[in-house]
Order: sequence, then structure tokens, then C-alpha cells
Amino acid sequence: MNELDDQLRLLIPRLRRFAVSLTRNPSNADDLVQACLERALSKWNDKRPEGDLRAWLFSILYRQFLDAHRRSRRYARMLEFFTGRDDAHPSAERSVIAQSSLQAFDQLPAEQRALLLWVSVEGLSYQQVADILDVPTGTVMSRLSRARQALRQLSEGEIARPALRILK
Amino acid sequence: MISMPPSDNDLHAYVDHQLSEADRRQVETYLASHPAVAKRVRAWQQDAQHLRATLSATLQQPLNPSLDPTVIRQRMKHRSRRHLASAAVLMLAVGVGGLGGWQARQITLLSAAAPMADALQAYRLIAQQGVLPADYQTGDEHSMQGWLDRYFTQADRLPDLSAAGFKPVSGRLLSTEQGAAAMVVYQDPSGQKISFYIRPPGPRNFLLPRGSRRDGELQAEYWSGPGYNYAMVIPSDTPTAQKLKQTLNF
Repeated sequence: MNELDDQLRLLIPRLRRFAVSLTRNPSNADDLVQACLERALSKWNDKRPEGDLRAWLFSILYRQFLDAHRRSRRYARMLEFFTGRDDAHPSAERSVIAQSSLQAFDQLPAEQRALLLWVSVEGLSYQQVADILDVPTGTVMSRLSRARQALRQLSEGEIARPALRILK
Repeated sequence: MISMPPSDNDLHAYVDHQLSEADRRQVETYLASHPAVAKRVRAWQQDAQHLRATLSATLQQPLNPSLDPTVIRQRMKHRSRRHLASAAVLMLAVGVGGLGGWQARQITLLSAAAPMADALQAYRLIAQQGVLPADYQTGDEHSMQGWLDRYFTQADRLPDLSAAGFKPVSGRLLSTEQGAAAMVVYQDPSGQKISFYIRPPGPRNFLLPRGSRRDGELQAEYWSGPGYNYAMVIPSDTPTAQKLKQTLNF
């Protein structure tokens, strides 16, 4: 048990980083990490991972993020229904201003952010990512290609608009 | 083995170091003579590099103690025990049925927080895990009593446990919805810790009959005195606990 706890402790900074890149908000991110660890600890006895512990935790965290996201989307739609406003869409301003590569990254859809983090930053194999998303590796590769293209366009957009930055 | 010219997928796999050594060399040879493709690949590599650099800052966040696996395990154990207890009483309530059942449910909800749960929680946080530092440290009983009297009027005196080898060593003020609470940690020469906990009775924490309850590895003895509720928290199943029980006449 304690050996598992030690391994988990080492991975917590990576889980928090992944959660921040999904939620874009440190305190929501920590809630997500906490939920993920609770789930992992309670599943450990009957469904422990065969391979990489890190990839297993990423997949738990990602699933919980999607569930929470779905719930909040439902809530947003309800809110929209009652108030006639739509808070779920990012403002136009936000999608125009891209000042750093992190902001370009933050504008990508959640799945593309997760993909790029897993592959480019964490160095997971295509097979591991395929297992997490439960899709064939070919699908992982084509989605990754799309994510890279999108990130490229957003970062290029940033470089091509220097005037905006000077004016601030 | 990949085919030439390399597909988009092969180029991505090259960027991600997922090609075999032979394939990698083949792609490199190809890129050397195709500058336009090489430029695209380099841009991807740079994006990946940027991302690694930017996101590495997020790894340096200050620790969040509530994410520690030990703390999470305890919280889970706590929660499930409380759910089980509530479920058991609810079952009973359903069995009794009707209005009586509904009332029993109300009672369950009211008492869902077991008596002096906060005393046990404080013991875990302060004496066991050292998550919260002490506000006040001393070697003698008088100054500790003086410290407590600053915050609580006419409260029960700190019990004298010197016969069992325990002396008050540190105190910590805590807050509850109803006002200040405090915990005093006693320690014996072998390093065993027990605690004295005092809190105002809350709307749901009405004055308590003298009682005792076990929670995991801890034993809480609780009672009410003038104006406050009190608890002593002792690690159960130790010889010390037996000795203390005799000393304190619980």
C-alpha cells in the first residue's frame, strides 16, 4: 500500500499539470486530481493497471474531466434556457488575442490539449494514448496530426499579428 | 518498415520518437533532400519544444497537502463509515415505517456528524500528521491553562495526567461555526500523544451525555461541562490508553 502511495506522490505534480491544462484553472484542477486519486485508490484492488501507472491515472483523470464537463455543459444549457444567455462559448475577444504559445494551446479543444500533452510533453506512446481514448492507434495519429496543425495555425496567427501586441 | 516518401503519420511518429532506428534514419535522409517537408517537421518539433518549456512551469506548483494519498485514504474511510452508519439507521427507519421512520431519518441527518468528530479530526491533523503547527508551546501545565483561559471562560481545568506520564506540550486554536475551539496536545516521555479538545456546543452539538466512541485507531471520550463540550482523544489499543482510563475514571 505504502509503495503505491509513494509512486502516487511522485506522479501528483504531473497529474496536476495535466488537470490544469484541461481545466485552465488551478483550483478546479486540484479538485479534479483529488477525485482522480480517490477513484484510483478505490479501484486499485480489483482493477489495477497492467502497464504504466501514469497512463492509467491520466485515463481516469481524463474520464472524470469529460464527465464533469458534460455535467457543466448541461447546466450551461439550462442556464441559457432560463436567462437567454450563453456562457459556454468563449468570448470573441478571447479567441482573437493569442499572446503566448500557452494561450494558443489553451484555445485548442480539450481533447487536442490532452493529446499534445500526452504525446509531446509526457512522451506516452501512441499505443498508450490509444488505450486511454479507447480508439485504434491510426485514429490517435490522425487526431494528433489535426491537433498539431491547429496549434501551428494558432501560433502563426500570433506571429502574424505583432501590431496587436504593441498596442495592447 | 515505412514506405517512401514518408506519410504524414510517419513524419509525426518521427517527431514523437516513435519510429524504429532504421525508419528514423530513412526519414532523416529524406528530409535532408526535401527542405519544404523538413521545414514543416521542424515547426512541429519547435511547437512541441515550446509546449514542454511552457508547461514545465506547472510542475513547480507548491504542494497541496489535501492531495496526499494518506489524507485521501483517511477521508475516504471516514466518508464510507459515515455513509454505512447512516444507511443502517435509514434501513431501520424504513423498517419501522411511516411517520416514525421519517422522524428517525431526521434524527439520522441531525446526528450524521458523530459527537465530537471535529476533536478526532483535529487530533489527526495536528498530533498525527503535523499538518497544522501549534500556536502555543510550553512545558508546564500552568502556562497552558493560562493560554486556554484567554479564550474560554470558566471552562473545565485541564486534566492532570502527570500520574500517567503525560504533560501538556502544545496548543492550537481552531474555529468552529459557533466560536473558538482549542486542542491541547499532551505527550509522554515515549512520544505518545493524546489530546484535550474544547469547543462551544453548536446548534447540533447540544450538550453531550458522558460517552465514549471509537473511530478507527482512535478513542474519543467526551462530556459536557459548564458552557462547553470536551473530548479527550487517545490512540486506542495501547497500554497507555488502559492506564489513562484508570487515571481519568472514564
